[in-house]
Amino acid sequence: MTDCDASVKAVEQVGPGIFRIVLLAPGTARESLPGQFLMIEASPGPFPLLRRPFTVSSADRAGGTLELLFRVTGGGTGALSRLSRGDSVRVLGPLGRGWPVSDGRWLLVGGGMGAAGFPFLASRLGPHDILLGAGNAASLAWTPPGALLATEDGSAGTKGLVTCLLDRIDPFSYERIAVCGPVAMMRAVVAALPPGVRASTLVSLESRMACGWGVCGGCAVPASGGGFLRCCADGPVFEASELDWDRIEEAAP
Amino acid sequence: MKPELLPVIGPARFRSPILLASGTCGYGLEILEAGALEGAGGLVTKATTLEPREGNRPPRIAETEYGLLNSIGLANPGVEAVIEKVLPRLEGFPCPVIVNVAGDTAGEFAEVVSRLESSGVHCGYELNVSCPNVENGGMAFGVLPRLVEEITRLARSRTARLLSVKLTPNGGDILEAAAAAEAGGADAVTVCNTFLGMKIDWRTGTAALSRGTGGYSSPALLPLVVARVWQVSRRVGIPVIASGGAWTAEAVLELMSAGARAVQVGTRVLRDPFAPARIHAKLLELVSE
Ligand SMILES: Cc1cc2nc3c(=O)[nH]c(=O)nc-3n(C[C@H](O)[C@H](O)[C@H](O)COP(=O)(O)OP(=O)(O)OC[C@H]3O[C@@H](n4cnc5c(N)ncnc54)[C@H](O)[C@@H]3O)c2cc1C
Ligand SMILES: Cc1cc2nc3c(=O)[nH]c(=O)nc-3n(C[C@H](O)[C@H](O)[C@H](O)COP(=O)(O)O)c2cc1C
Ligand code: FES
Repeated sequence: MTDCDASVKAVEQVGPGIFRIVLLAPGTARESLPGQFLMIEASPGPFPLLRRPFTVSSADRAGGTLELLFRVTGGGTGALSRLSRGDSVRVLGPLGRGWPVSDGRWLLVGGGMGAAGFPFLASRLGPHDILLGAGNAASLAWTPPGALLATEDGSAGTKGLVTCLLDRIDPFSYERIAVCGPVAMMRAVVAALPPGVRASTLVSLESRMACGWGVCGGCAVPASGGGFLRCCADGPVFEASELDWDRIEEAAP
Repeated sequence: MKPELLPVIGPARFRSPILLASGTCGYGLEILEAGALEGAGGLVTKATTLEPREGNRPPRIAETEYGLLNSIGLANPGVEAVIEKVLPRLEGFPCPVIVNVAGDTAGEFAEVVSRLESSGVHCGYELNVSCPNVENGGMAFGVLPRLVEEITRLARSRTARLLSVKLTPNGGDILEAAAAAEAGGADAVTVCNTFLGMKIDWRTGTAALSRGTGGYSSPALLPLVVARVWQVSRRVGIPVIASGGAWTAEAVLELMSAGARAVQVGTRVLRDPFAPARIHAKLLELVSE
């Protein structure tokens, strides 16, 4: 974990309210692993008080740059979207436990902005298939060739939720299934998968975070054995079996 | 004002007047690993209770326009696990460690202190009397001077190490509570814990925190804490440790001008784990001017 002044290389709008930001932060880019996140200071002044967590969307070790994909949902993300080339932001990271990248075949299932971290994951994986869902075509933040798509309005791919794409793959053919999206979507995907593959299923969670580095206890998510895990330090990537899916909604941001 | 840069409080000596506040640095392991202890004079651990506590249901934190609400619920592994698993890892810690202690009854506070005496790693205790007292109907101990004195006296009878009593700004008279801590034998008082606060979504009527209310912290609270430190330090003869609203070196110096011997930095460190070094460097620069 380091805290550095990253220089903004580019900010561009890539969809409705969706932005891509490129930061020059060589040390952080070198250290980051897929699934890890950064705590970004949205403003140098004291408010907003807390930093904002964002998954690393891609990291270029050689070029020293990091990319984030984010949707503007409030003051912090709004401030980030208004940055321009040459500005600097403080970046704490990389933080958390990422995806346990392995050589076998992976299935990536993303919903909405939940796919933000998948470009980085996919770049470090061997063979993999991708299922993506969103409200409409424009809200698909990432559409790699070969991905199966579902949109609620039918403007891209199959009309419906991402779970309807699960019929088109063989869940038993993967070493790992990685799921990231809104809590309700992850719960539906985990529930729709045959019990036999639960053990190989991973999810990346979001929760409200104050510190992001494990000390405040603010990001508690319900654990399957009772009690809580820290989303920031024990996750954000968890084995689906580590979590209590009946209580998971409590922790949704 | 010429501030004391290596403050001595009771039997403890600190590396700088900047202490890391309870609940905002865990048990120090993460910040040690990050190498972010430069500038920190000492560290106060997360509240430790007799039995392990899971903590409250989420949501436990809510950000407001100008501050942070938290209701973590004293989540901690319990005193036995702290003695066996945590404190040994703090052997040789770069700065003195104070254990923050909480309990539901006066006896529990004393029991936690007694058990912790078996470890030589920490230099003292901060009694968090801001938590609800189950024997007396859930009202915070800190609002009842008689109970503050009783808890302090009982804990004092178990330890010769630094003993500070962390007072609450919520209800009661903080000056009476401070005097009661002094009468009970405290070496210092910590002024003060978070301010009771609440956030409600007016559209739905739902509270942002699972428990409804929580503790509010913000740099905007600085003047409220400066006033309390100023009043308390004129009332009692023991040192005052300030806690609340310290975001910058200037704020630390202001709290010291109000009478604080040392100043805790809390929420600022959540946002910026490397803040202690920056605040300390700036503080040295300001006092040498
Ligand atoms: C590990 C992790 C990774 C994330 N990665 C991404 C990403 O790659 N792209 C992206 O667009 N978003 C991501 N998010 C969500 C993003 O952090 C929030 O959208 C952002 O914090 C909202 O801040 P705001 O000030 O704009 O919104 P406001 O609604 O004004 O924020 C108010 C408070 O609520 C918190 N909050 C609001 N929404 C969320 C949320 N979804 N998750 C956690 N806290 C929230 C804020 O941090 C803040 O404390 C991630 C969240 C986590 C926990
Ligand atoms: C997330 C969080 C957890 C806290 N936990 C404790 C605690 O366990 N015991 C305690 O005495 N104070 C606790 N506090 C209060 C802080 O130690 C400190 O007194 C308070 O936040 C005011 O200081 P600040 O404005 O610098 O944050 C906590 C504060 C926060 C923000
Ligand atoms: S956000 Fe502080 S412990 Fe996870």
